[in-house]
Amino acid sequence: MPKYNLITPEGTRDYLFEEAASIGRTEQTIHHLFEARGFSRVITPAIEFLDVYNENGHSIPVEYMYKLTDYKGRLMVIRPDSTMPIARLCATRLRDAALPLRLYYSQSVYAQNRVLAGRRDEVKQSGVELIGAEGLRADLEMVSLAADVLSGCRLKPFRIEIGHIGIFNALADALHIDEVEREQIRLYIESKNYPALDDYLVRFGDSHEATVLRQLPRLFGTAQVFTQAQTLLAGTKAEETLAYLKKLYEQLCRMDCGSMVSVDLGIVNRTDYYTGIVFKGYIEGHGEEVLSGGRYDRLIKQNGAYVPAIGFAVNIDAVAHAVNQKEPMERAHADVLIVAKDEEALPHAFDLLSRYNEWGKTAEFFCDNAEKARDYAALRGIPKIVFLKESQSEEVSAEEASE
Amino acid sequence: MKPIRIALTKGRLEKDTVALFETMGFDCTALHNKGRRLILPIPDANIEVVLAKAADVITYIEHGVCDVGVVGKDTIMEYGGSFFEVADLGFGACRFALAGKKGDDFYAGYAEKTIATKYPNVTRQFFEKKNMDVNIVKIEGSVELAPLLGLADAIVDIVETGSTLRENGLEVFEEVAPISARVIVNTVSMKLDQQTIETLIGNMERHVRGKKYDDFHYQCKRNR
Repeated sequence: MPKYNLITPEGTRDYLFEEAASIGRTEQTIHHLFEARGFSRVITPAIEFLDVYNENGHSIPVEYMYKLTDYKGRLMVIRPDSTMPIARLCATRLRDAALPLRLYYSQSVYAQNRVLAGRRDEVKQSGVELIGAEGLRADLEMVSLAADVLSGCRLKPFRIEIGHIGIFNALADALHIDEVEREQIRLYIESKNYPALDDYLVRFGDSHEATVLRQLPRLFGTAQVFTQAQTLLAGTKAEETLAYLKKLYEQLCRMDCGSMVSVDLGIVNRTDYYTGIVFKGYIEGHGEEVLSGGRYDRLIKQNGAYVPAIGFAVNIDAVAHAVNQKEPMERAHADVLIVAKDEEALPHAFDLLSRYNEWGKTAEFFCDNAEKARDYAALRGIPKIVFLKESQSEEVSAEEASE
Repeated sequence: MKPIRIALTKGRLEKDTVALFETMGFDCTALHNKGRRLILPIPDANIEVVLAKAADVITYIEHGVCDVGVVGKDTIMEYGGSFFEVADLGFGACRFALAGKKGDDFYAGYAEKTIATKYPNVTRQFFEKKNMDVNIVKIEGSVELAPLLGLADAIVDIVETGSTLRENGLEVFEEVAPISARVIVNTVSMKLDQQTIETLIGNMERHVRGKKYDDFHYQCKRNR
């Protein structure tokens, strides 16, 4: 049997030095922002019961989840997303919490992807959930926070794109079609498969809704989308929803992020999950969205009643990678190397380490023979060495030391 | 401005697309004298053309290293992926078909059927829809051999004219799906370079439709 003791599982990897540091830097920026806006962190387990993800219509297909069993043979999964565990929290320990709740998380999620497609099975995500708030104010807060995440990471120019699941739902409802047909139309709209969508909708003849559905995936861009859509949607049940989305868009345009906001009426992902606005964030040089979220009013329950909620998650791996391209992280080296020439000097050496740290310097302790200290400092790029003998210290710059 | 990168499927689709680009007035000199180069510029249009194997076109588009791709529906059906599939160019038209020895009644009896194919995913999906368990054998070369040698009851393969089938005593049992060249676009490029990409694809579609119109008129004249 082959041994797999020296490789990581497919879709996972090790993060070394600069990479790990840049993940840390990005997380820190984002955590600071979330906390500055009044969100509190929660941490949920990496393993959950499968049932947590089997709630009504939460659409992570079972085949994409990493599954295992516990000692009683019950099916468990390795967390494929963080929102469902938060829904579990709200229904239980937070059932009597005063609303709105502002929660954030920062943890990895796991999904089994197609093999060899170059996708990661383990993705670090940070995200927020605003629970128990609805309407324009709550929606605006979250979309503008999403924009602030990307500008806070200095990723300009980025793009925040908004849509509304209610438009597709209203049009599809009016067609009186079954689940299978609805899903087929949704898939064609989601993948902007214009030819297949046109062919498929022929069966509904000249119905107004079918004509509009045909145009839906083509309606993306900036303000002119609303002008086009208003004419198209006039008289349908989706009219009101469009007016709401327009209001939201106009408010966003008046903010700092205004020039980076666009709209796509053809965002119809996870229609069984989202119930209101949906949004995505894009940056140059990354082939898919780096941020994604929306309103889901029929997921979180407190004491048996649905609580409105909206949230989004940021792909930390993608954002950290982009930040690192723009502002490369250098591998950090210590400011000073502390070398004890004899055992007598050891206590003083360790005291000196913390002393340097208190002065805001990084100090590394040298474990080996004192003669080797100079070569080591040169190898690691440490500019200064402190030699200690008994309780005498002698400070040398690494260059002098090597002479 | 950074150029739009278009990935073309090497071979026939590449030739057809280059011909289309020429009717659109693009300078395709580099594409005709490509030598061993794999990335070729269309200078006046701010476009770079990348030549790749069909399945790789999808991979490059999904990852966003190319913005637009021209690839057969057969490849899309077999490999899937997430991208926008925005236009049907009409050329490269053929079909996926289920075929086997002439005169055989494929659906007769209850014995499990063995299917030989180069496209296991397309085959699996086709029979899943029929709720039929089949044994799929992946073949790399001439699939037509499998039923002749007795390895398989039928094949699922791309059929253009059907002459290979006929010459080997095989016939089409059932059509699986029609195939033609599609334009696919990376989901982020579509948003970040909306205008350039929409103009380009609109242009391609117009010229393809124009050509169909010409063919139709040509046919009419000949018939007269």
